[in-house]
Amino acid sequence: MSDAADGATGEGSALAVLDEAMREQFTWYVVAKKEFQDTVRSKGLWVLSLVFLVLFVVPLLSVVFDFLGLGQAARTSGTGVLINSIYLNLVALLLPLIAMFVGYAALTRERESGSLKVLLSLPFSRRDVIIGKVVGRCAVVALPLLAALALTALLLVSMSIPFDPVLYGLFVLFTVGLALVMVSIAVSISGAVPSGRWSLVVNFFAYFYFSFVWNSLANGIGNILQNQLGMGGAIRWQITLFVKLLSPTQAYKTLVNSRIAANTGANAERLARLEMFSPSADRATLCNDVLLGNATVQQTVFGGNRTVCQSAGNAVPFYFSDAAVFVYLLLWIGLAAAISYYTFDRVDL
Amino acid sequence: MAAIELDGVTKRFGDVEALRGVDMEVREGEIFGFLGPNGAGKTTTIDVLLDFVRATEGSATVLGHDAHEESRAIRERTGVLPEGFDVYGRLTGRQHVEFVSEAKGADADPDAVCERVGLDPEDFDRKAGGYSKGMKQRLVLGMALVGEPDLLILDEPSTGLDPNGARRMREIVREERERGATVFFSSHILGQVESVCDRVAILQDGEVVAVDTVEGLREAAGTETVLTVNLAESVEGVVAAAEGVAGVESARLSGATVIVRCSDDVKMDVLTAIEDAGGDVENFDTDEASLDELFAAYTEDEE
Repeated sequence: MSDAADGATGEGSALAVLDEAMREQFTWYVVAKKEFQDTVRSKGLWVLSLVFLVLFVVPLLSVVFDFLGLGQAARTSGTGVLINSIYLNLVALLLPLIAMFVGYAALTRERESGSLKVLLSLPFSRRDVIIGKVVGRCAVVALPLLAALALTALLLVSMSIPFDPVLYGLFVLFTVGLALVMVSIAVSISGAVPSGRWSLVVNFFAYFYFSFVWNSLANGIGNILQNQLGMGGAIRWQITLFVKLLSPTQAYKTLVNSRIAANTGANAERLARLEMFSPSADRATLCNDVLLGNATVQQTVFGGNRTVCQSAGNAVPFYFSDAAVFVYLLLWIGLAAAISYYTFDRVDL
Repeated sequence: MAAIELDGVTKRFGDVEALRGVDMEVREGEIFGFLGPNGAGKTTTIDVLLDFVRATEGSATVLGHDAHEESRAIRERTGVLPEGFDVYGRLTGRQHVEFVSEAKGADADPDAVCERVGLDPEDFDRKAGGYSKGMKQRLVLGMALVGEPDLLILDEPSTGLDPNGARRMREIVREERERGATVFFSSHILGQVESVCDRVAILQDGEVVAVDTVEGLREAAGTETVLTVNLAESVEGVVAAAEGVAGVESARLSGATVIVRCSDDVKMDVLTAIEDAGGDVENFDTDEASLDELFAAYTEDEE
């Protein structure tokens, strides 16, 4: 090897060592790296960066121009108000859609063009291909997303809005988590169906169900338990809550809600879970039996009754805690990839 | 040990039977031509070897490994030029070769690969999306050579190559055999195969109809020689006279030219018979049957 080449290897040696270690440790690593290199060169990455920029930076204009009184609220209460009133619903609605567009053609395009034949003639198992694709596409989304969120943080600080780094850090963590989950689901669907058109249709249904139907589905399951199977009381509401938490977007929302309210005391997790239910739900049972709180009925100034859930010194059960919900969210990555592998491994190319 | 062993391999896609009990053995270190018309099942057979599709019945063993159960071990030691492939449009040729090199844990020199398959070094550092079909073919052939594989599987390797490219490809195939590799390649263009193959198999309608050396096939098919006789003018009766000679398979008249298929040792008898029938022979030419004609003899239904 020439001297010049030696010098070049020396400079990037830390990266080279990591690269080497990853390659030896994980058989899918080379696929992920290729996927990332290939996609990063596409115009799509620039479009994606622009989309994230619009998603996170444009809403800040509402603070600048004091739209809906947000400027005032933000300047006094800080990041939490902005996340709660702007980002939470916007992200929960649009991020899964964006992520699915990034991932839906990951495998079908290679299958349709024939580059999959080149890929699979190399010593990769089909599992390597699925995992490598998921990891590679996740990196493709995570990069511009993190950049946009970092820029947003800088702007918040420069606009002298009280900045809560812990809350914002967790918001970033959950947001990236949601993005990765949705990309994984999209890539996995593209591995499990025969064509790009199929992938688009199935992905759209997945998005639609998670975002708009899942909640009714969970409530419906609760009703069936009560009415058809006679399972009333705590068990019904436990199962309903659990099903609700299995939706990635629902899990994301309740996690962010819980962290926004975290400075109001130990009751934040409980209230965030309770918020997932409509006022017609049995709040007393939910509070007392499911979330281990203390429900009291108070009279409102208008003369009606309202159930207030207090902490009673107990934490929520660990399986409904924020940490557990975050784990449920991330489990989707593995579950989706496993289903995809199961299908993809059996198919004739 | 056999490099490739197929034992009663059958593949059905729904109602369609693509392969019907294919038996074949490719020996280590030979160049094996896999011939057949389009749609005969050549690519399906290769897909079974690489575990792209799974055989409905029968077993396939490559380099001593089961084609389905131990596919990865096979592909670690095999270089493949698939049919109907595409490259990664946004990666350069060099990145493709580096990718294969990493995937196989090989330490290939990309520039050497580029030179060997005859790609322009400038093109090599351009994105492969702008490559012509022939350039893509050269690139993927180069990728197949990375890591000195024990077996090369090339599906229609001459597709899209100009005559120079096709010649280079044949040279590479011979060089790889010299190195000790087994080369298995499919083609429907037989002229390309004839000069390089140690043995060939002919596949038709999902069945192997013949496996032999090119010479062996030639003898077996009995179409050894084509005798072309130019007459001064067209004369009636010469075709019948030629066909009357024992050992002549067929004869036909085209203008003032008689074309006779016959075994090699009756050439002079045929010429005599034509002259006896009133033909004025100006000159004649003999030609060994090309593989195309052999191939036609094997794959056309007897009419």
